[in-house]
Amino acid sequence: MPFSRISLAAGFFALALLPVAAAGELDPHSVAQRVDELLAEETYQATADTAELAPRTDDATFLRRVSLDLTGVPPTPEEITAFAFDTTSDKRARAVQRLLAQRQFGENWARYWRDVIMYRRSEDRALLAAPALYQFLTDSFNGQPRWDEIAHRFITATGDVREEGATALIMAQMGGAEDTTAEISRIFMGIQIQCAQCHDHPTDRWKREQFHELTAFFPRLSIRPVRVEGKRRSFAVVPVDRGRVKRPNNPRQGALEHFMPDLDHPEEEGQLMKPVFFVTGQQLDDGLPDSERRETIADWITDRKNRWFAKAYVNRMWSEMVGLGFYEPVDDIGPDRECSAPKTLDYLSDRFAASGYDVKWLFEVIAATDAYGRESRSRMDDDVAPFTAACPQRLRADQLFNALVEVLGISEGDDDDKKARNYRTAFNSPRGQVNKTFGYDPSVRRDEVAGSIPQALFLMNSPQLARAMSGDDRGTSLGRMLDEISDDEALVSELYLRCLAREPRESEMKTCLEHVSNSNERADAFEDILWALVNSTEFLNRN
Amino acid sequence: MTMHLRHQVDVSVSRRGAIHRRDFLRGISTAAVAAGTLGWSDLVTLQAGELKKRGKSIILLWMQGGPSPFETFSPKPGHENGGETKAIDTSVAGIQISENFPQTAKVMHEAALIRSMTSKEGSHPRATYLAHTGYLPTANVKYPAFGSNVADQLPRPELDLPSFVRIGNGNRDGSGGGLLGIDFDPFVLNKAGELPTNAKPTTAENRYSRRLDLLGRLEADYAAQGADYEVSEHNKLYRKASKMILSSQMKAFDLEDEPAAVRAAYGDSEFGMGCLLARRLVETGVPSIEVTLNGWDTHFENFPRVRELAGQVDTPLAYLITDLKQRGMLDDTLVVWMGEFGRTPRINPRAGRDHYPKAFNVLLAGGGVRGGQVIGTTDAGGAAVEDRPVTVPDLLQSFCQSLGIDASYENIAPNGRPIKIVDGGSPVSELFG
Repeated sequence: MPFSRISLAAGFFALALLPVAAAGELDPHSVAQRVDELLAEETYQATADTAELAPRTDDATFLRRVSLDLTGVPPTPEEITAFAFDTTSDKRARAVQRLLAQRQFGENWARYWRDVIMYRRSEDRALLAAPALYQFLTDSFNGQPRWDEIAHRFITATGDVREEGATALIMAQMGGAEDTTAEISRIFMGIQIQCAQCHDHPTDRWKREQFHELTAFFPRLSIRPVRVEGKRRSFAVVPVDRGRVKRPNNPRQGALEHFMPDLDHPEEEGQLMKPVFFVTGQQLDDGLPDSERRETIADWITDRKNRWFAKAYVNRMWSEMVGLGFYEPVDDIGPDRECSAPKTLDYLSDRFAASGYDVKWLFEVIAATDAYGRESRSRMDDDVAPFTAACPQRLRADQLFNALVEVLGISEGDDDDKKARNYRTAFNSPRGQVNKTFGYDPSVRRDEVAGSIPQALFLMNSPQLARAMSGDDRGTSLGRMLDEISDDEALVSELYLRCLAREPRESEMKTCLEHVSNSNERADAFEDILWALVNSTEFLNRN
Repeated sequence: MTMHLRHQVDVSVSRRGAIHRRDFLRGISTAAVAAGTLGWSDLVTLQAGELKKRGKSIILLWMQGGPSPFETFSPKPGHENGGETKAIDTSVAGIQISENFPQTAKVMHEAALIRSMTSKEGSHPRATYLAHTGYLPTANVKYPAFGSNVADQLPRPELDLPSFVRIGNGNRDGSGGGLLGIDFDPFVLNKAGELPTNAKPTTAENRYSRRLDLLGRLEADYAAQGADYEVSEHNKLYRKASKMILSSQMKAFDLEDEPAAVRAAYGDSEFGMGCLLARRLVETGVPSIEVTLNGWDTHFENFPRVRELAGQVDTPLAYLITDLKQRGMLDDTLVVWMGEFGRTPRINPRAGRDHYPKAFNVLLAGGGVRGGQVIGTTDAGGAAVEDRPVTVPDLLQSFCQSLGIDASYENIAPNGRPIKIVDGGSPVSELFG
């Protein structure tokens, strides 16, 4: 058990910092229980028109949900059956631990964070960094992932973007000091301080100076082209600590310090900004080298005194798992935003910090809450208390691709996440095609993610999918099942198990069997059923 | 307006299209589909006041890479910067363009040239993004492409096809629907003359309808399990997608339908077929179309390469204008030829020209633009704008004026920030005078 180590670490900080009584307590189930108690106090009981709490979800739904959430892959029929027959009381917790130890756990979250970063890229050239980013994140998440260490790597990264995956966040903004600052604040603190770039924030407390003071930690970043093996080009994040040449048409470009432009006289140099961290007021002198600036701000951002660091991560992961964040959207939180359950978030964030920002610990806790384990309902109305049910979540493109691979028994081929040489080839593999068609920015509110016509056309009419669904071909999984399973009812069940990880309901079985008996060809009928399941809302969502 | 009415009749009398659509609607509506979706004809009636605006379209002929002004529409014969490129007379006395565009020269009386475009962006992605959206890329706001704004601002309820179609694969600036959402992303067609990807059912149409019917019945059950919202959104999308591929409007993509003489008049190049398809899409009611030709990044061997590229563009560009004119569509269709920037006046040692945003040119025709005029001048060597500088926002403001779109209309970004369709700039009034 890793908890003894964590508890020890927690002991140093918890007493001084935490208002919560249960200092030092890090057992995932106890923390989960406390989260549920606080949620009840803050939301269900506090709201006058309380909606009924959704009941605990059944085993099959839970397993598909937690498998897709943690590893991005739906459970196999064998796993579902084994889970259903397991009668021990802690089987859900054990399933979570098993999933957290799988290789796909790291791959899943690597793809998630790659998307968080890359969907905000300022240029497609930044995709050059995507394979190394994926590798860096996969390795991090499959080790002993600690969010402060990962954040630290991103903020302080240098080197070739095709080798040093952590450079991707800076590469995505092409090294621009202001854009990089904005992304670091958004991703690691959930605070959109860049809104104060040109004027004091209209709805937040941040002043224009504070954005530019934060930017003053990053003025010495640059992206330099690199020649690799003669021809193929790459880029590197390179600190520039001396000898930059100022350009006549922009007095601020190329400077070793950050200057806040004078809005009335943008042609002038503007005001020299000292590096100051707006959350804590900690500051550095100007004139320091890039490495010292970035090491320092990385320390300050990830320090427990900055509670937005833990809150931003907890809020985001909670939103991914439960389907609804305490703050929405997940990357726009902060002291002037409305939080639907502030005490709960504070408590869980403080515990997360006390765990040493242990990523896997947080997943264990969230998966153990009642809030996570409830049946899902369509997205809540504003007048219903939040977290009374889970929300269906549309699968991310990589989850969908994994599901298609599982269901149709096709092989993925080369994993271009690792191999893609550049952005021109990155989209050519099957996974790349699905990502291009179904991908979305994971930071946007899920109820704003809409399906597109090319997506529907892909699932309905793609010749590749049609071939993989053929019933006449013994090379396909449907072809083999038709051969091996002569009982129609059993075959319908098998298809439901594979596609939706559950048994068909009585009405569904009836509909399917009717379809079979009304069809001339058995193979055609089951192709139709498989087609309908792959095109169903349920397949595209995790419930 | 007549175009739309004719179109409406087309749809209702087409037995194939109409019958299949009804079959499909019956199939999917067995499920618990949310009410409140009006039929297209209801919407047409409701929005009759918008008809005038809805008649407008834009065809953007996008020259990815940055075409040289010297070898296109602003030749400088006699100056060393002009190189070997000669100038030729056009149908308008006093206007000369490069010898690479002899067909376009004959329709100069329909086209206006802006020779004084100017910008600061000299990198392909940023300049392409700027020209497409009117903004520079940032991490926190996804600015919609102008073509997406057109699709949003000029709704066509009777249109079964996507309202923004991008033909050809050159444009990599990443701009699309942005904050307007996925509905306004360009529908990308890699190549004119082919059906869009995955637009053909993989089974016979009656079996396809049976499949949709089966899907509808199974979905009803899932909706009843607490996912009614997700199911109803999913059904709406599937209806829209199926309506599209079963629509008689899909014929627009079939260039074989076009008389051989017309096909020949557009020239045999892929770009020519793209221009022909663009006209067919405008006829069908698509308000926003972009046809891309890649390859204008002529850092070396500029002269033969531009000659070859111009050879692909000249005939289709000229005939697109002629064809639209003959069909009475030119007044309502703005045709724009442009790239992201110009090329250096100085010819480099590899006989190429490098990136140069300080002075470049744009050709416009139709959409109320007064043809036969040149706007703006550069100095003798083509190095700087001498008169009437025009910025990208000025140009987009002019597009808005042509299309009857309010450029100051504000879309709201997810972070609450209002984003104008065009921020700053003012229309180039001479275009319409």
